[in-house]
This record gives sequence, structure tokens and C-alpha cells, in this order.
Amino acid sequence: MLRITVQKALKGGFLSPKHVSPMLSKGTGDVQKKPQQIEVFVDDKPVMVDPGTTVLQAAAMVGVEIPRFCYHERLAVAGNCRMCLVEVERSPKPVAACAMPVMKGWRIKTNSEMTKKAREGVMEFLLVNHPLDCPICDQGGECDLQDQSMAFGSDRSRFTDIEYSGKRAVEDKDIGPLIKTIMTRCIHCTRCIRFASEVAGIDDLGTTGRGSDMQVGTYVEKFFLSELSGNVIDLCPVGALTSKPYSFAARPWEIRRTDSIDVLDAIGSNIVVCTRTGEVLRILPRVNELVNEEWLSDKARFAYDGLKRQRLITPMLRNGFGELEPVDWECALVSVGKKILKAGKNVGAIAGGMAEAEALVALKDLINKIGSEKVCTEHAYPTTGSGTDIRSSYLLNNKIARIEEADLVLLIGTNTRLEAPLLNSRIRKGYVHNETQIFVIGPKVDLRYDYTHLGTDPGVIKDIEYGKHQFTTVLKRAKKPVIIVGPDALSRPDGAGILLHIQSLAKIIQACVTEPDWWVLNILHKVAGQVAALDIGYTPGTKSIVQDDSLKVLYLLGADENIPCRKDLPKDCFVIYQGHHGDKGACMADAVLPGAAYTEKQATYVNTEGRAQQTTVAVTPPGFCREDWKIIRALSDIIGKTLPYDNLDQIRCRLEEIAPHLTRYGDAENGNFYDVSLDIGKQSNVEIETDPLCVTQNCLEDFYMTDVISRASSTMAKCVSAVRQQKSSQY
Amino acid sequence: MASRAMNLAQRQVKPILSLDQDEARKRAINLYRAWNKQLPFIVRHFDIPKSVEQCRQILREEFTKHENLTDVRVIDMLIIKGQMELQESVNNWKQKGHIMSYFKETIEPKPKDFLSKFLQGVD
Amino acid sequence: MTNVLVRFNHLAKSHIGILAPFSYFNIQHYSTTPPGTPPPQTKTKFGGLSDEDRVFTNLYGRYDWRLKGALKRGDWYKAKEIILKGPDWIINEIKVSGLRGRGGAGFPSGMKYSFMLKPSDGRPKYLVINADEGEPGTCKDREIMRHDPHKLVEGCLLVGSAMGAQAAYIYIRGEFYNEASNMQIAIAEAYQAGLLGKNACGSGYDFDVFMHRGAGAYICGEETALIESLEGKQGKPRLKPPFPADVGVFGCPTTVTNVETVAVAPTILRRGGAWFASFGRTRNSGTKLFSISGHVCTPCTVEEEMSIPLKELIERHAGGVTGGWDNLLGVIPGGSSTPVIPKSVCETAIMDFDGLVACQTSLGTAAVIVMNKQTDIIKAIARLIMFYKHESCGQCTPCREGINWMNKIMYRFVEGKARLDEIDMIWELSKQIEGHTICALGDGAAWPVQGLIRHFRSEIECRIKEF
Repeated sequence: MLRITVQKALKGGFLSPKHVSPMLSKGTGDVQKKPQQIEVFVDDKPVMVDPGTTVLQAAAMVGVEIPRFCYHERLAVAGNCRMCLVEVERSPKPVAACAMPVMKGWRIKTNSEMTKKAREGVMEFLLVNHPLDCPICDQGGECDLQDQSMAFGSDRSRFTDIEYSGKRAVEDKDIGPLIKTIMTRCIHCTRCIRFASEVAGIDDLGTTGRGSDMQVGTYVEKFFLSELSGNVIDLCPVGALTSKPYSFAARPWEIRRTDSIDVLDAIGSNIVVCTRTGEVLRILPRVNELVNEEWLSDKARFAYDGLKRQRLITPMLRNGFGELEPVDWECALVSVGKKILKAGKNVGAIAGGMAEAEALVALKDLINKIGSEKVCTEHAYPTTGSGTDIRSSYLLNNKIARIEEADLVLLIGTNTRLEAPLLNSRIRKGYVHNETQIFVIGPKVDLRYDYTHLGTDPGVIKDIEYGKHQFTTVLKRAKKPVIIVGPDALSRPDGAGILLHIQSLAKIIQACVTEPDWWVLNILHKVAGQVAALDIGYTPGTKSIVQDDSLKVLYLLGADENIPCRKDLPKDCFVIYQGHHGDKGACMADAVLPGAAYTEKQATYVNTEGRAQQTTVAVTPPGFCREDWKIIRALSDIIGKTLPYDNLDQIRCRLEEIAPHLTRYGDAENGNFYDVSLDIGKQSNVEIETDPLCVTQNCLEDFYMTDVISRASSTMAKCVSAVRQQKSSQY
Repeated sequence: MASRAMNLAQRQVKPILSLDQDEARKRAINLYRAWNKQLPFIVRHFDIPKSVEQCRQILREEFTKHENLTDVRVIDMLIIKGQMELQESVNNWKQKGHIMSYFKETIEPKPKDFLSKFLQGVD
Repeated sequence: MTNVLVRFNHLAKSHIGILAPFSYFNIQHYSTTPPGTPPPQTKTKFGGLSDEDRVFTNLYGRYDWRLKGALKRGDWYKAKEIILKGPDWIINEIKVSGLRGRGGAGFPSGMKYSFMLKPSDGRPKYLVINADEGEPGTCKDREIMRHDPHKLVEGCLLVGSAMGAQAAYIYIRGEFYNEASNMQIAIAEAYQAGLLGKNACGSGYDFDVFMHRGAGAYICGEETALIESLEGKQGKPRLKPPFPADVGVFGCPTTVTNVETVAVAPTILRRGGAWFASFGRTRNSGTKLFSISGHVCTPCTVEEEMSIPLKELIERHAGGVTGGWDNLLGVIPGGSSTPVIPKSVCETAIMDFDGLVACQTSLGTAAVIVMNKQTDIIKAIARLIMFYKHESCGQCTPCREGINWMNKIMYRFVEGKARLDEIDMIWELSKQIEGHTICALGDGAAWPVQGLIRHFRSEIECRIKEF
């Protein structure tokens, strides 16, 4: 595993570029005095840069794009494609712009004869052994090699040897169900290798052989299995690594791109949904430095085929034979409405993990109008004490992007690698570049970095809090410590006690932190809808529903995971399921109202750090599906308690009334009242039990199928079987 | 050439069919009668969900729509069109939908309120 | 491999300053005479080194190579006193001697060692000895390690102490079994005699020497690839900057230097820099091991004075060209990566750095490969290119793809199955490779082709026309 140990010793000195990504964290805490800027000239345009800036970065500052293949801003510099060679005045040979730091007064010529010749030469060499199979290559149209050979290559080929001997051919590798390899196309930029070892923390990829026999691959025949593996597809500048599910599906110029948000975990990764003729063809990440940088987890990227399977496309009612029978909307709404009217106040609602803020508000308004207060979410969270009343006690207060700056991370009852892969990649980034120390209380899971395990007993938290554990001093000494608490630790029956002790521990540590706006306490959620639901005022957990014997109608808004089963409900309880997939919830329902999935509606989601973002409509909902809040709005009309909003603008005004931050898209509203929440918490008297902390997602196998969409996805199913196959492999 | 054109323009316009109002009226009444006689057959042949009475009413509406016309040429033109329509109906050149299109209420108005918009699936 | 490191062969002497942008130490013109300048040379005739001036007195293994024999030959004599004279004295003496790196690049050693004298930032410093002698034609380091290993061990200690290094790593080529075995024994003897280890030679200086056997890759003779290999990674050259003097082995300041360079250091320090500087022309001073192979009567490795004329070297030590001087076709004067020179040039060629640069070739490792007229020169060069194709690490594009392509064309040239304009094409290809790669292997592969075309173009044209 790659870890830079010399960094401390160097502190700002030169490092081997092989090991150092140019993105060493921006501020390391101690105030560094700003080094003198130096002046260089790019094509005679003067520019002031910091010492250590590379030629390529300096050129980018004046808007000169230097062609490159192997260089990537988020990976270590390899400097092996040689495409970025540029002439520097007074230097006898061209320099590799991606790796060469500028010196004072350098005159860089990005358009000179020498530069052009160097580029043409390198391009010619790259194409010598590259199969020109662009017509059948999936990368065609978005291929760096295509684009750059158009822009910088020579206009004709001199490769006459094709008449005497062929081009190099390389056997394709089978590296799993997600990535298709056509290794003959590989130009050996090693981006995939560097990504795997630096970001994903998996050293499975590498090169074997040398010279023209060099091959990129897994040294032995095995799968490249990582929760972030799909990113190598984006990184590959040619068509050597392409997406298997997307293979031969479409050309980039045929597809429509819609910016959206991923909802399969609580990170809220920004995505681009690529569609053609009303079908989602693939999902790509979109750059957002504050959230996902430019990575995307495999579940978010590949689970889209689940959007086409197991869908509920028409309203259904359970008939006399106990079967769900398709009916039209009017019929469905009227019979549901009748039941609700009959039930009076005995109506309860459970919102699922993928419910958006609009639907949540509409449902809560409707239930409240009927006169019931039983609106809850399926994922439990401590409600006693300060519980969910104060935002800071259920948010990732320190924000995702700043986790990488931490010098000490304490993970409690969480497997960040699977619950929030992109948060885990931030922790790993800190681990690699910042010497972050990581401690874990909870199950010993594989996080792809080294950590100190403090035990699985939640009592350890108390010990640390009371200073009885030697770790307390370590924690207190840290300049930028963060404590990340996982959802599984807090959904335990004694979750309130755990939260309380963590809060008071965080308060003790917070007092030692001098960094402004640095928050020690951070809560991680697993599902995209939880924070918005808590913001709007839902009660977490289904306890109140289960305990209610008089419940007549239960409204499930996309709730499939932790819902009470039929026998826990009163016999005559009428269950309405509104959602997009036929899963557990729809199974037990008496009426099914088909909703829209996240690619089919414009909807607000709040991620675990409290950042409001919205999805947009990429495709129209299939069949008779309707946007969720509209279904609730229509139902309100039927039962005569009309909700006062008819369109998206109006419901967003309502959102704003409840919580203004919900409509400030892109911003993360800070938590508040950190101290108060602790004091309120002290009033509760839940004690920590001794059961060991555990998580639901332990190994990679558990990662792929966690929600209705990914459970319906055959790609995800293939991943699970690939992981199992790998387990039985000798490597 | 130019002078001939001038003469033509100054001459009285050429009648289409009828020379005067009376003749046009006669033609209109004849057309009305012919349609009226044909209506029961239309109802039967085209199997439209309307009674003969309803059809008569529509027929009357179609004619009274133009009762204020005075220009003989315009009346003649409408009569020719009416005869063509009749011929098309008699010879079954028309289809059921063409006949039904006289009954304008088959086109439903666009929904205005939220609920009907929702039920119809229009935004 | 080191043969093809930075070379100044296309630059006039006064332009060495042009390298300034590439190093963070300003290498300035020698306008004034700074301390450590070798005395000007007044001799006009070179060659015929007398036995008492030889550094490697057991080059042919006639005497005992172990510690006892080495002590008899004067090794380890007053090593303690030399260490105690301090780094500045040692480095100044090396500077005075005008010693230039013997691995091929010919970088002034005194200056190279002085890069290490920067104030320490807490990291240890290392000396790495490049004993990965893989250049075809070169067989000098192996002789030293087999027959005179104590020269190298002592050199490690003295040079290491001069730069404040904690330890020396000898990266020895994997194929050198006997050499590695003798080296290891020599190191062990030195430890046992207290010459190495804690308080080495009683000087109070702690110094360790480790030996690491390579796995047989020519590229591992490139200094950064060697460092990578030493660290346990694939032997693929690193990007420079940062230079090894800043970030080298295990991330610490490192100097990588050739066996011969280090092995001559003790003798220089004992007999004085001025003595060493008295051999050879100015800025090319010293004695040097020449390996003469190919079509000569008695192939040998011999220590000679620098600046000896090529003809004299061959005739005096190698018994002349097979079939007489007139039967000479061409000579590769500095190991496989240097351009070939034809007979006409050989007549007057002077065997030193500047003399060969004037002939558009290079001294390299001074491995003289002699070819007489029975040689198929095109095939000979094609074979060399095949070697480079096989040894290219595959990391950067021009080298990986370009040499492979050149190899294909060269073998067609051997048959003559090519077009005339492809000669110009391969010339351009070699220019596209040269200077565009991470390390100098690309350059080393390009130069033989350039030398061939420069001097034997008519040969290729003939072959193509005949086909």
C-alpha cells in the first residue's frame, strides 16, 4: 500500500513525483508563510506562479491547454506518455510539462516548431501500435487519443511496417463484470494503475513485461474488485477500459446528458445521466470538489439498469383473491381516499430512504391535515435527548471535503468504505498524503488503509470520554480530529446513549481544537433522504407505528427496508405503498401507487453534510408513474383536504417556509447549537449496552445490493457473484 | 393586351352556377332536402352512435350557420362543397370519423385543475 | 547503461552552463579559477602508462584479491587519516584531480559529491554504487570487483564519508556471480577488520556497505531505475527533477556513482589530485580502464592514460586489428550506445571525452568495439537495436514504440527490403526518440542508428538496391 513516509521530513520540499499527487492538502494547519511567487512566460504571456508549479499548471493559468495522456490532476505524476513535451527557451531538449516545475524567468513555448515536432512524434509512436478500430470502439467520440491526434498529430502516417509485420496484439483481461478490457488499445498511460493504488487503495493493477511487451493488468488472473472501480473507465484516455454494461449501447453524440444527483448513498454525488429515447444508458460522475471530486461509486454508476426492472408502472389494488390488480388512477385514488377518510386520525406514514424533500413535505402536510402526527422514517435514529431537534446532532458537521484535512479520524460503528465510498476515499487521501491517523471502534472491516482497532465494545467510548483509555491523550493532542459515527451504531436500541457519550466526548475534544470552524462530531447516514426527512420534522424509526394498535391506514412512501411486517400491524390496517419498485413494501400493500425514480423527477435531496441538491428529469416516468409529491397532492384533493400547492415552484415555496436551506441548492447549511444539544441530551438516561457494535455492510459483497434500485439491477447481482467467485479463487 | 384585361375587370363578374338570389336559394333548399333524405342511411351505414334526430339538428346548424350570406358566388361555392360532402357520404368515401367530426363535442377540453391534469397525466 | 546518461556530446565545452536550468545548483562557466580547479596540462603526448602509475594493480587477478593481498598493494593505507581530513578536503582533492564519472556521462565527480554537502534536513544520506555493468562491450567494473574488490569497498568508505553518507549500497548486476561473491567476502573482511561498520577504521565514523544483486535488467543501470529497483519496485526510471541528490533511494539524498569512479578515489586521495590530473588532457584527466573487444588479436581490459590515440590503444594493447589496420571497418569507441566511427575517423581519434565528442561520438564507458571488414555493419547495428528494444522498460512512449519500430526497419535494412526514403525516415525517428524520453536509454538506442546512417549510408543504399 502506497503511503508516503518521507513527507514529514520533506515538508514542502521536492518529492519524487511518482509519489506525490499535486493535491497535497491545501492547508496543513500550521500557518505557512506564502512563498514568493515567480514569473514565467508562457508563449510570451507573463504569469506569476508559486514555486513548484509545473509547466502544465502554469500554462493552464494563462489558458493554454497542453495535450496530455498520462497526467491527471488527482493522481500522481507519471510523466510517461511524453505528450506534454514543450520547448523551454535555452533548454536543448523539450521538457515534460506535467512533471517539470517552472524556474524563474522560464520562457515556455507551447506552439514552437520543436514542441509541435515532439508532439507529432509522440503521437505517431502512440498510433504505431494502437489498433485503429475506432468504428467499433466504445470510446469513439470521447477518446482523448482521437481528439488529440486530430489536434496535434501529423496529417499522414509513415507506418509502412504494417505491410511487413502487424501491430502489437494483447490478450484481453477479465477484470470483472463492470469493466470491459480491450488491452490492444492500451497506450500504457498507467492512470488506472495509479488510481487503483492511490485512490482505491487496491494494488491489484500493475504492469508486467517490459518494452513493447509491457502489459497493464492484474498480475495474476483475478478481478479488479473495488467499490470505486468504475472510475478507471473515465480515467482511461482510450478505449482500453470501457464500461461492460454500456458496451455497444450508444455513441456520445447520440445521448442526452442531464445533470443530476445520485441518491443511492447519503453522499449525494453529482452525476450526469446519459439518456437516449427515454432510457438511461449510463451514469457518469460530475465534478464537484465539495462532494465527490470527480469520482463515483460503482453502485451509483452501474445500478441504473435497476431502473428498468421490477418497476411499478400502474396503480394497483388488492382484489378479493388477495392479488394486486391494475386499476386506473382515479379508481386507485378514490378507494385509497375512502380508506383514509374512514380511518380518521388513525393514519400513519413511513418514509423510505430515497424519498425526496418535496414528497416528504407533501406527505407530512397531508397526514397532519388529517390530524395525525405519525410521520416517521424507516431508518432509526436516537430521538430521546436532543435527538433530531438540533441539526448539529445528525449532520456530518465538518463537511465531506474537509475530512481529508483531518490528522486523526475516529470511526465508530461504521464501514465507511461501503456505506459512503467517497467519504472513505477522502479519509484515504488524508491517510496517504497527510499522515492521518485512523482509529476504529466497531467491527474490524477492510477499509483499504491501516487503522488502529480500539475494540468492538461500545463501552470503549465511555472509557475514552472519562479519560480511562490511553487513546484519550492521543485524541486530545490531535490538531484536527474528527469523529465519524455510523448509522448502524445509532440505530441500536441504546443509540441514544451512544450518541450522548459521543457528544460529550466530542465536546471535550472540541475544546482542544484551535482550528476555527472545525467540528469534531460527524454523523454519517446511509440513505439519501434521511437528513431532509429529519429537517422537515419526521420522527426517525418506526417504533411509534408498530406500537399503535388503532392504526387503520399505513402509508409507505418508498419504504422497503425496515418496515413493520404485516403481523405487527392491526389486522384491518390498510397499507398503501407509493414508490417505484416492487419490493418488500409493495408486496404487503393493499394499494400501490406508482411513483417516479430519481432520474425521472426534479427533486430535492439533502446529503449527510446537510447540502441541498436537486435531481432533474432525465427521462419521463414509465407507464402511469407520477411524481411522488403530485400523487400525494392528488390524493389530498380526493379526500377533500387539498394541499395548497399545484406546481413545483409552489411546493418549493412551502419547503422554504419549513426549512429555507432546503432550496438553497449547492450550499451546505451548517449545524448549530453544538453545546446546547449536549445539555438537552443529558436529560435522557439511556445507558450503553455491552453488545458489540456491528454494521450491516461488512464486506464488498454487501455493498452492491442495498436498496430497491440496486436490488433490481442485474449488473449489481453480477458484481455480487463476482465477489463470491473471487473469494473462492486462490489469489 | 392591356386594354383587354381592363375590359375584363370592368365587366360584371362571371356567375358560378346561379344567376340570382332566387336560384341560389332553390339550390340550397334542394341540397338540404337531399341531405335530409340521406341522413337515416348515413346513420345506419356508418354505424354512428347518434340518432337521426341528432343528425338533423346538426344538419340544420350547418345550414343556418351561413344564413346571412348574400353573395351568390359564395353561396354557390358552399353548395358545391355541400354536394361533394354528400356524394362522399353516399358513396362511402367518408369514414365514420369524418361523419363524427360534425359533432364537435367529441373533442374534450384540456384539463385545468390539478386533479384532472394529474389523472390525465398532463403537466 | 550509465554510458548514456547526460552527455554533452553536441555541446561545446563552454556551454556546460546550459544545464543550469535543470539543476538547482548553478553550474557556472569556469571564468575565474575556483578552488578545486585541476592544474593546466602541459603534456602533448599521451599513452604508455607506466606500471607505478597504475591504480588497479591487480586487474588481471595475478595476486591475492583478499584483504591481505589488498593491504600489500597499499589499499586501506591511512584510510583513517584521510577520513579525518574531512569532507571538504576530500572533495577538493577529487575536484583537483579532475575526475569525471567513469560510467559514461562523464559528469565531474567532485561537483557531484559536493551536491551532497547541503545542510542536512534530518534525512540520512546514501551512496549507491552502480555496479550494474550491462553495456555491451564493457567489462571493466567486473574486473575491479572480482580482482580488486577492496579498492571499491575502501572507495565507498572514503567517498561516503566525504558526503556524510550513512551507508553505501552496491547494486551489482545479477549475472555477476563471482564478482558478487568476491565483493561480499571483501565487505565481510572489511567488517571483521574493523574497517567498516561502527567506528570504521577507528575514525569515529559509522559506515555500512550493503550489496544488492539485481535481477538482470539493463535499464537498472540507469540511476533512478536503479534506485527504484533497490527500493524493491520495478526498475523503471523516475522523472527528474527531483534529482537523486534531493530525493533518492528511500526518499533520501543519494548519489549514484560508477564502480570505477569510486574505486580510483582512494588512490587519488593518497597520491593527490594533482598526480591524477597529470594524466590526459585538461578536463579529461586521469587514467582509465579501456575494454577492447571485437576484431582485435588480443581483446583485453587495460588501464591506460586518458587521451591516448585510438590507434595506439588498439595496436599497443590489443595486438592490432585482425587482418591489419587497413582491414578496419569501424570502431564503436564507448560501448554499444555510442555512434560508430569509420576507419578514416579512427586514424586520428583521441580517446577522451572531448576528443570523441569532436568525432560526433562519445567516450562512454571506454569499451572499444573494433569491427574489421568482415563485419556486416548494418546487421551489427540492427543487433544492437534489438538489444535496446528488448531492454526498453516500456514506461514512456517514444522508447517503447519507437525502438520497436526502428528495430523492425533495421532488420529490413539488413535484408535490403526497404525503400530508400526510409533511411531518412529512420533518421528522423531516431531524432524523435532522442531527448524525448524519461531516461537516456532512448538516446542510447538512437545514436547507433544515427552513427550508422552518418557514416555508412551508402552501405544501406547499396543493400536496398541489390534487393
